[in-house]
Amino acid sequence: MQIDPKKRRSYQEFLYILPFILLVAVFSYFPLYGWVYAFHDYQPPKPIGPETFVGLKWFQYIVSNPVRTADVLRVLRNTFAMSGISLLFSWFPMIFAVFLNEIKCRPYQKFVQTVTTLPNFISWVLVFSIAFNVFGSNGAVNSVLLDAGLIDKPISFLKSKEHLWFKMWLWLTWKNAGWAAIMYLAAITGIDEQMIEAARVDGATRMQIIRHIIIPSILPTYFVIVMLNIASFLNNGMEQYYVFQNDFNRKYIEVLDLYVYNYARSSIKNYPLSTAISMLKSIVSVALLAGSNTVSKLIRGEGFI
Amino acid sequence: MKRLLSVLLVCAMVLSMGLFSALAEEAPLVIDVYDAAANYNGTQSGWFAKVIKDRFNIELNIIAPQVVGNEVFATRAQSGNLGDLIVVDKKDMSDLLDAGLVRDISDKLPECENIMKFKVQIDAYNKGLTGEDGVYYGIPSEMTDTSPTSITDDVIYSSPMIRWDLYTEVGRPQLKNLDDLLDCLAAIHEIHPTNEDGDPAYPFTLWRDWDGNDNMIGIANVVQLTTWYGEKLKQSAILKPDNTFTTVYDRDAAYYKITKFLNKAYQMGIVDPESGEQPWDDVANKLSTGRADLMWYSWQTGFWNSVDRLNAGTGFIFIPVEDMNFYADADRYFGSDRMFGIGSQVEGEKYDRLMEFLDWYASPEGATFQHCGIEGLNYVVGDDGKFVPYKDNALMDNLPVPEEYGEGGYNDGNNQINQWIVSSLCVNDITGERFAQKYWQSYKDMTMTEMKKEWQETFDAEDSVDYMKKHNQLLASPSVDFTPRADDNDIAALRVDVNTQLCSYTWNLIFCETDEDFEAMWDEMIEQLNGFGYEQLYAYDCETYQPEVDAKIAVTAE
Repeated sequence: MQIDPKKRRSYQEFLYILPFILLVAVFSYFPLYGWVYAFHDYQPPKPIGPETFVGLKWFQYIVSNPVRTADVLRVLRNTFAMSGISLLFSWFPMIFAVFLNEIKCRPYQKFVQTVTTLPNFISWVLVFSIAFNVFGSNGAVNSVLLDAGLIDKPISFLKSKEHLWFKMWLWLTWKNAGWAAIMYLAAITGIDEQMIEAARVDGATRMQIIRHIIIPSILPTYFVIVMLNIASFLNNGMEQYYVFQNDFNRKYIEVLDLYVYNYARSSIKNYPLSTAISMLKSIVSVALLAGSNTVSKLIRGEGFI
Repeated sequence: MKRLLSVLLVCAMVLSMGLFSALAEEAPLVIDVYDAAANYNGTQSGWFAKVIKDRFNIELNIIAPQVVGNEVFATRAQSGNLGDLIVVDKKDMSDLLDAGLVRDISDKLPECENIMKFKVQIDAYNKGLTGEDGVYYGIPSEMTDTSPTSITDDVIYSSPMIRWDLYTEVGRPQLKNLDDLLDCLAAIHEIHPTNEDGDPAYPFTLWRDWDGNDNMIGIANVVQLTTWYGEKLKQSAILKPDNTFTTVYDRDAAYYKITKFLNKAYQMGIVDPESGEQPWDDVANKLSTGRADLMWYSWQTGFWNSVDRLNAGTGFIFIPVEDMNFYADADRYFGSDRMFGIGSQVEGEKYDRLMEFLDWYASPEGATFQHCGIEGLNYVVGDDGKFVPYKDNALMDNLPVPEEYGEGGYNDGNNQINQWIVSSLCVNDITGERFAQKYWQSYKDMTMTEMKKEWQETFDAEDSVDYMKKHNQLLASPSVDFTPRADDNDIAALRVDVNTQLCSYTWNLIFCETDEDFEAMWDEMIEQLNGFGYEQLYAYDCETYQPEVDAKIAVTAE
């Protein structure tokens, strides 16, 4: 029997992408199987089966009474607020990169860049231990202030819930800004020198060059990064909030991922509930994605899905 | 060159012969221990490993959900093999039985002489589990040979303890109630604001990572102190001295009283500001460096009261407060909350050897290793055959073990099963004294210090339990065979919600600036807790623990 060479080639080409399809299937689609736990009363060692099926019970549980619904909304509010703040300030690393680029003394520039990039490689647990030693009630800052006689009682920086979201953004920025700036520095290197020299010949000041040449040239990079940030709007990570949470600030620091984790960790029997809440997250994510796609269609004339 | 080659060949031959003879020796039997009590995951190593390998040629592979996470329970249960030896909470046992994960040991257990010394307790537990006589599945842990109503300890689990020298320095005031206690502690803080190194010291230093543990909701530091007024938390319900239940937010109950007490302390400025931020490890460090002026767990004194300090009179010791009425558990005759069982897939020779090992584990020799340590390191044997404490820092400083026990530090090689069948209160047949060091005559002689004599003169009592009995301040709760039912999914979800809210509120209440704030926040807490279903949880817990209360009443009446 003759095999159609065209068909054979298409099989061959299918084999090329097969590994990637498998990877996606195993690591992105197979885990979705875990969602079944949200529809069961899972009590190990009993396996789940038809007799443990409870339908939408755990979804209804979330909205079963106003206090509990308010609690979930509180967590969503925290998530949106903290992601919103980082989105709002997402231009910060860009401006940082621009100013970094303006430093003419090369060794100093390299020094600043290294120092700001380094925190990115420290784990959140270590960041917290730094925070605890510096800002704890018996920490360095309080000792200095007490010794100087400026305060008579230690200030509980870590327990306070004042400006918590903003403080969390500051920690995040301290950790990430240098790293995020690398992308922009690369973009700045790509700008045609001739443009800048021409502007300089025409008598443009440094600020004018930044405003009219450098920033517009790196804006496309900025937009790509903003888009990526929106995609991970709800995935704002839980490590940071996990290490900084305590009983005093929990009300404002608990984000969705942390909320799900706290439930699941409390008891194996709470897996169904925490699975249900984490599915809620996927629903919101899909809604956000569809929303930003529509916006993109309106603005750019084409969507990204 | 040739000579070198021949030497090498000879060496290789000798080596391989050595290897073969090693292989000819029987490979040790590996026992998987699924152990809810262990704080160590992996193969038991060090001196304890050598002790059991020499006797039984057994190796222990410990699987510790506390270390690797509870998920290991789900996955192992799913596979149908939890472990060969199983150490779990009693309340999980009936689920394991239903799922066929533990085996019937009725055939072998009656032959285990050492374990069957506790026949009464084992019969009671298994009858409660299966409803049948003579059918055995589990062995309770840490059973005592005393009685369900006796209190052997000379110090109860929780009572206020203050450094004797500081208490003396502030004039040994007579304390009538919690307010007097606060005044006394404030006076101590005044004269002792720092430790010897100049680090700040506070009467109260609280920690947050034990909250909601040990079948009690709420923050551990408050929950424990409720026993000073005869009240005991049973999950979300408070059991009062008159054997009735009340809610945790009842303003007449001790949870309120103690929270208020700690808030007053905060308002007086005698609570460590790091409280609520710091984990237990930091507190342990503060206790051992003299940065805490009050202790309330009997075992906390171990962080400070060395023999030297007791001799110098700077040890922590019980200071009575007149209006207190201490709740104390009697000796745990029926054992602690955990039990030992054998996995359902264990058969044949493995089963025989495992049961043999378990019986040894409960034997005087086995229990001596668990509770007293190693002869020549932790203790020496006196002329009268009784034990005398030797290097009492063996555990603390991880001292190297004697040569015959292999190598490594004492602590590193310590028994990682971390759960015993025989309680340390039991009498050791080898010496005729109890296993625990503090009951040895030799230890009592060593620690009969000036400080203790002064204390006895001041309070006219032998020890703290004696004082409490004399002043009718001790409310002993007898030991009964009782296992609470396991939560279903709905109750588990309610419990985590209620506990999270209660803990958050309690911490914030302790740090309230004014009494008005405190009361307002307490009202808000009641509303929130009820919103999260506290009333339902409370009803469930009352129902769960009523049989235990009834059984205790029955024992007391006898």
